[in-house]
Amino acid sequence: MISRTKRWLAERRRAFCRSPFGCLVELFLSRMFQGAGDAEAGELDLGVGVILILLAMPGLLVSLLMFEKYGSLIRFLRGERAFDPFKAAIPDEYLFIVLSVSVAGAAALWRWDSIFLDRRDYSNLVPLPLSLGAIFFANLCALLALTGVLTIAANGASVALFPIAVVGSRPSLALFLRFATGHAAAVFAASVFSFSAIFALAGGLTALVPPSAFRRVSLGIRFVLVVTLLILLATSFTVPDLLKRLSVSNAHRVAVLPPVSFLGVARTIWVGENDTFSFSMAGAALIAVGVSMLTATLAYAFSFRRSFIRLPELPDARPRTRISSLLPRLAVFEKLAFRSSTHRACSQFVSRSLWRSTAHLQTLLCFLAVGLVISAETFAAASYHFSARRNTVPPVEFLSIPFILGFCILVGIRFAFEIPLDLRANWVFRLWLDPDRHDARSVARRVLRAFSLYWMGPLVLLSTLVFWGWTTALLHTAIWCACMLVLVEILLIRFRKMPFTCPYPPFQSHAPLMAVGYLFGFYVFESWLPELDRWFVLSPINAVWIIALLGSVLAGLGWYRNQMLDMDKRLTFEDVSKNPFS
Amino acid sequence: MLEAINLCKFYGSVMAVENVTFTLAPGQVLGYLGPNGSGKSTTVKMLAGLLQPTYGEVTYNHQNIHEDLIGFRKIVGYVPEEPNLYPHLTGEEYLDMVGTLRAMTPSRKSTRINSLMELFSLWPHRHITLGSYSKGMRQKILLIAALMDNPDVLILDEPLSGLDVTSVLIVKSLVQALSAKGKAVFYCSHILEVVEKVCSHLIVLRKGQVLAHGPTSAVREKIGKSSLEDVFLDLVEDVDITQIVNDIVRVVACP
Repeated sequence: MISRTKRWLAERRRAFCRSPFGCLVELFLSRMFQGAGDAEAGELDLGVGVILILLAMPGLLVSLLMFEKYGSLIRFLRGERAFDPFKAAIPDEYLFIVLSVSVAGAAALWRWDSIFLDRRDYSNLVPLPLSLGAIFFANLCALLALTGVLTIAANGASVALFPIAVVGSRPSLALFLRFATGHAAAVFAASVFSFSAIFALAGGLTALVPPSAFRRVSLGIRFVLVVTLLILLATSFTVPDLLKRLSVSNAHRVAVLPPVSFLGVARTIWVGENDTFSFSMAGAALIAVGVSMLTATLAYAFSFRRSFIRLPELPDARPRTRISSLLPRLAVFEKLAFRSSTHRACSQFVSRSLWRSTAHLQTLLCFLAVGLVISAETFAAASYHFSARRNTVPPVEFLSIPFILGFCILVGIRFAFEIPLDLRANWVFRLWLDPDRHDARSVARRVLRAFSLYWMGPLVLLSTLVFWGWTTALLHTAIWCACMLVLVEILLIRFRKMPFTCPYPPFQSHAPLMAVGYLFGFYVFESWLPELDRWFVLSPINAVWIIALLGSVLAGLGWYRNQMLDMDKRLTFEDVSKNPFS
Repeated sequence: MLEAINLCKFYGSVMAVENVTFTLAPGQVLGYLGPNGSGKSTTVKMLAGLLQPTYGEVTYNHQNIHEDLIGFRKIVGYVPEEPNLYPHLTGEEYLDMVGTLRAMTPSRKSTRINSLMELFSLWPHRHITLGSYSKGMRQKILLIAALMDNPDVLILDEPLSGLDVTSVLIVKSLVQALSAKGKAVFYCSHILEVVEKVCSHLIVLRKGQVLAHGPTSAVREKIGKSSLEDVFLDLVEDVDITQIVNDIVRVVACP
């Protein structure tokens, strides 16, 4: 019976894809999942399966953790005799909703460029005997299907597992179904809302912003959205506790957060309409879902008319605006900073690529967003100390902010160095750079410093100066700069590439260890170094110890480099091109 | 019969094409020549129905193509200037998609795809994604996509771009063979030798305006030059080639 149904469904799908409309829908869906799919041009081609697994992973992991938390034996050992699942599950339900919003939002942001039709679609599809209406509706159907697939992938695991973890041991099927329905409705609605809202924004931008300004505006908006999603994610640490203490009925203070409204959906299904606050929140959530979907559809229609249909009228690219007055000064600076013209040329290429390539800037902005959100939380803690101890030494929380931001930016740039930028174009470096003599580290080092130290240093100095005077500002800035310089050296210890010119590095067995290393590094920069910094500011004589510490780290790095074989220091292009015809 | 009647196209205040008029009859190969930025690709896009002319019209069998654009596109095979294909699809998948979108029957579609891929030497690479194809291979895919539904009109914009020598010879002969079968071919190119050999008629364009129009031999005789290269230089390029070459050598050689 099942195999027959499966066969029937497969046949129906094949028949649908054989029709021109079905073929278009299939094409648009594959395009949305796989992007441009041009591995040589630097696109990350993960495949549908990997994308779905990545989307499902957060919900799955958190759901598995719930089995331990809600296990009847553990509750018995804790002495929890009376267990109200609908009350006890509120904080975790909130967490699932936040996860749902964040994962769907992140997926929409990741595929931001692929969800709308572009010049390639125009040149391939419009010359064929198809109406523009067919193309419009096929992409709309693909978008709806994408929303559905994303929603199910992001929430499927939690919809199946969370109710089992919380009420699976109860004998009542009605109770189980009520809980599962409430949870499913809340997380599905949250995902659809998140995806549609971001999609509506993207559509609105495409329709309203002139093409010349679109890239910059779009990047800025995406950065703000990433920060917003991270803030929402961060609320899962505080809001559940608040909800537990206040109960949802009294949660007016946090009602402005979208996940609280979706929590209202779950609560309304769980306990009925008696809880008026939850009921009103549920109403607001459903209205928000409807409005976001309607706006997304209108924005898509508007952008199709304003942007896609006019594509042949628009030029492919416009000249970039140049800041001519700044160039002579930069040229002098570059001559001082780089000892050879090769280094100057490479550094200019790396800086311009990092600044102009959307994928690389997006990666950097993601790391910056993480740094900003963590810094904002730290700043909130530091602001308490501002009033309490205004004229003494800066609190550790304040001192840690530049360390957090600096760490995130440097790691972000280092990560971006690994993302290839049209590998077909790297022949120019292969041709001109001598692998034995070219020092790729010095180029990368200077770019890392230019993108962090040179602009953050003055800001660190000024912000400390405003509150704590010259001495503290100079000492704090000096130790911050020293730590950043050491971090740059650590990040480049085994670096031997021209940034952006090599394919993605293959997965290596020590990758998880490196991830742990980065987390540990973050912990050091977020906690230990600011403590050390404060110790130094309190008594500058302690500089001896700090200099000794940083010096020994540098000496250790130098020793490690000396131990490395010459072939491991040689410039590489990791030539494993997938293109057999290049 | 495909006709362009007083075609004009403005991008904002910039005029790309001005009063271009010609007729493309079945069995004719019309060469469209001009330097960079002369309005060739704009004309091609208007002929393919991708761009609306600001003034004038394109008609097929005396009917404006925009009145039944889908019907018109059914009888047109179009090879664009850039092989901008979907890199995540394989060559075979792409052609299958084009065939489906052209509403070809599955058997006809698969027969054509298999035969044409074989004939264009792409059969061994049919399961490789287009992102990995060389420029010439992508160009062959575009040519197959244009030919597979047996169109009455072929609009070719630089069709030899990136092709190897053998493929160039094949395509040149193919264009003539198709015109002998009654197909109308609009051939837009920079390569004068090919246009001279392949095209029965010629239009020379400069800054959006038609400078010469007629049978290739007649245009050559009218200008009084022995080769198309001389005709082109005489009509289009009001520059001293020798002087430019000397200047380039001087700049390159200066210390």
